[in-house]
Formats: sequence, structure tokens, C-alpha cells
Amino acid sequence: MILGDLLGLPVFGTPSRGSAAGEYDGGRLGKVADARFVLDGQPHQLTSDARLLGLIVSPHSSGSFLGYERTEVRHPWPLPQLLRWRHRGSFLVLWEDIAFIGREEVQLRQGFTAYSTALDRPE
Amino acid sequence: MTLNRKPPPPAAGRILDAQLHLMDRQVLDVDAVPVTTVDDLELTDVDPNAEIPPGSPAPVIISLLTGPALGTRIFGGRPPSRRLVRIPWTDVSDVSVVIRLGVSGEHLDAGWVQRWVRDKIIARIPGGDHDPG
Repeated sequence: MILGDLLGLPVFGTPSRGSAAGEYDGGRLGKVADARFVLDGQPHQLTSDARLLGLIVSPHSSGSFLGYERTEVRHPWPLPQLLRWRHRGSFLVLWEDIAFIGREEVQLRQGFTAYSTALDRPE
Repeated sequence: MTLNRKPPPPAAGRILDAQLHLMDRQVLDVDAVPVTTVDDLELTDVDPNAEIPPGSPAPVIISLLTGPALGTRIFGGRPPSRRLVRIPWTDVSDVSVVIRLGVSGEHLDAGWVQRWVRDKIIARIPGGDHDPG
């Protein structure tokens, strides 16, 4: 799988059956804006495998610019504020909550958890 | 608003966001010689026609991809998979402002155009086969 094919795909929730629809159940949630990896896979001589931790879904924009929306950086005004607004509502969904990755769309499991996209340390 | 959600469970290793930390980064070989830039990433396959069974292992990065990406960036799409040159992830030694490899770039397919130009054209120009001075 080539990552470029995954970025920008629309993301849908799984419609709930009978139960009260939650905030994110069913419908289009946004687009895949980025993929988050963690270096905790099988160790090799130089580095470890980079495992897909999850996908960052943005409701308003599939692109990302410098990741201002994932850090607390506030300067130079007004760029961070503008870019943070453009990515308002974006969230991280873990691999365990992804039900389907097709050629045209990504579908999440019912009752998935939307986590903060914040990075621990800005880079 | 984006930062106010619940943080994900802590991960054991370093976190890398593909677009922020990997894509378009310059790749240097073990001697700090520029090799290429990262145009895309190749992951282990996920069946696009079937639901992912709960508990399935997550995809991992197999290789960094580089290739003729300029045209497709302007006009859309991406180069065919067979046209992309692969640098195995196991050759990567560090990810920072640049991506460092633990191997020499002299033998990687990613630099064959530069090597060809150097050996077939530059070296035939008088004085082109040695350092100036």
C-alpha cells in the first residue's frame, strides 16, 4: 500500500443500528490528513519498524501545512491561528478503530474514540 | 479545539507524522552525501476489499519512495508503482531535520541518474574527473 493513495481519502463512521447515534456515528467525518507512526516495531540493526499508530482526520481540509494544529506554537501571528482554525475539529483515530481501508474511502468502527492530534514535542 | 480532546494512550517509541516528519525530507547517506528526497512511503498491504479483522497487526513502513513526482504533483495522480525507487526502511538510521541512512548512497538505485551524469558526461569534460585545484 502506498501512503499517498491513503492521504486525502474521505473517512466515514459506521452507522449505529438501533442505538442513539453518537457524535461521530455514520456519515462523512472528514479526510485523511496524515498518518501517525510509532517506532516501536521489530528492532533492526539501525532502527525499529515504524508501525501505523493511526490516522489524523480533518473535517475541513485534507492538506496539512507545518502541523501548527498539532502543537501549541502561537507565532508568527496570524499563521498558527489561521491554520489551526482551518483544521478545527481534526482528530486522531487509532489503527484498532479503523474498520476498512478501501481505494475510495476509509471506514471507522462503531464507537471509535477520537483522540487529540497534539504532538508531545513540536519538531 | 483540536488539542482539547483526550490524548491517545502513551506510545513506547518515537512518534512520527508522515507529512510532517518524513515526506519531502532530504535523505543523506552514511557519509552525509545527499541521496534524494522522500516522495512517498510504502506500507505493508491492507486488503482494500475486506474489513480489517479486529486485532490485526498494524501496517509498517517498508520503504521510502522516490521518483518522477514533479509532474504528478502539478497535474494530479501519482507515478506508477514500478517507476518509484525504493529505499528500504531498514537502511534508515535516524529521522530528524533530514533522514539519515546507515548505508552508502553509492549503491542505491535512487542516485543512478546523478551517477550516470557524473560518469558518462561530467567525467568526459576535460578536468571533470578530479577535484579542482
